[in-house]
Amino acid sequence: MSFEWPWQYNFPPFFTLQPNVDTRQKQLAAWCSLALSYCRHHKLYTLGIMEVQECPVFNHKNIDRKLSTEAILIVFEELRKKGNLEWLDKNKTQCLVMWRRPEEWGKLIYQWVSKNGMVNTVFTLYELANGDDTESEEFHGLEEWMLIRSLQALQTDGKAEVITMDDGKGVKFF
Amino acid sequence: MLSIDECMSKQMKTFKYNLEEFASKHKQEIHKSSQFRVQFQEMCATIGVDPLASGKGFCWQSQRLLEMLGVGDFYHKLGLQIIEVCLALKHLHGGERVHHQGRGKSAQDVSQDDLVRAIKKLKAMENGFGVISVGSSYLVQSVPAELNMDHTVVLQLAEKKGYISVSEIRESLKWERERVCHVLEHLLKEGLAWLDSQASGEPQYWLPALFSELTSLDVTPEETNQMTP
Repeated sequence: MSFEWPWQYNFPPFFTLQPNVDTRQKQLAAWCSLALSYCRHHKLYTLGIMEVQECPVFNHKNIDRKLSTEAILIVFEELRKKGNLEWLDKNKTQCLVMWRRPEEWGKLIYQWVSKNGMVNTVFTLYELANGDDTESEEFHGLEEWMLIRSLQALQTDGKAEVITMDDGKGVKFF
Repeated sequence: MLSIDECMSKQMKTFKYNLEEFASKHKQEIHKSSQFRVQFQEMCATIGVDPLASGKGFCWQSQRLLEMLGVGDFYHKLGLQIIEVCLALKHLHGGERVHHQGRGKSAQDVSQDDLVRAIKKLKAMENGFGVISVGSSYLVQSVPAELNMDHTVVLQLAEKKGYISVSEIRESLKWERERVCHVLEHLLKEGLAWLDSQASGEPQYWLPALFSELTSLDVTPEETNQMTP
């Protein structure tokens, strides 16, 4: 299924940081929403600033408009403030995108586990995120850093325990 | 948030005030023309105003002012659209049929079609008008933009393509640069226009309201919910 662009994506001024404060607020909110939907659709969990500039979201070749690096960073700052983004380095070249929060992922994973009667089973992280059994699940392909955070959220709730095994980490669900 | 009646009378007042301002600026040009008169009569019929009745809101002086606006004036259209919507929504609220008084135009009931059309127009206007659904009816939240004749004329120019630039305005209206910039600044401030600084040549000022109309979006119930400013 291809990504559905919102009308603003075809509106040239959408790619110019608006001078009017109120308009800019609306614009940034729309950008945050678009960025998150795009990442969700393409299952992007990490973003590098260099590649991001050439990404279709921020560089709309058809109408010859692109969001400047300055503006992209402003959008990312908004996402960070909302808890949807985390910088991996001080220089702000790489970031984690959380279009779904760890708690939400945890809930999805636990639902699958209990639905399949697999409570009290131990899984390796690999099995959970990349195993054949979970192929049709939304959390399939979840990157390890996010998986761990999600499981930690479940741990806080007493629904799981992250354990260290010989060749990596695993998790037991309760 | 205003009720529909308050919204209507506030808009009428703003409408009237702007007309009076315009007329005072163009005193010498006030004259009667048969074309204006016909258009004026039709407009009155549409909004259910009888220009010959006294004490009904429009006196003869205002009528002459209305004549001066002529057809195709953005604010004139805007005023009509607002009134049209308010009438349509009044129908929805009261459960009664609202009749347009006929003079030149045959009497029309405000139908569901009118309502849908009016809401679509509202959606396209986006000048701070929010339609909020309350159960199965709608409240109109109005934040009228402050527009004078200079603004109106520029908006009218921009209507053709959905955007306008400083040179295009200067060429059309022969205004000084300062006057043009003043108007564009105001439109940006009111949220009616967005700046496009990546256009080739010079910056362009786009009207999202017209853009929406050009790309003809349909109104869905979810979208109506989202329209609060």
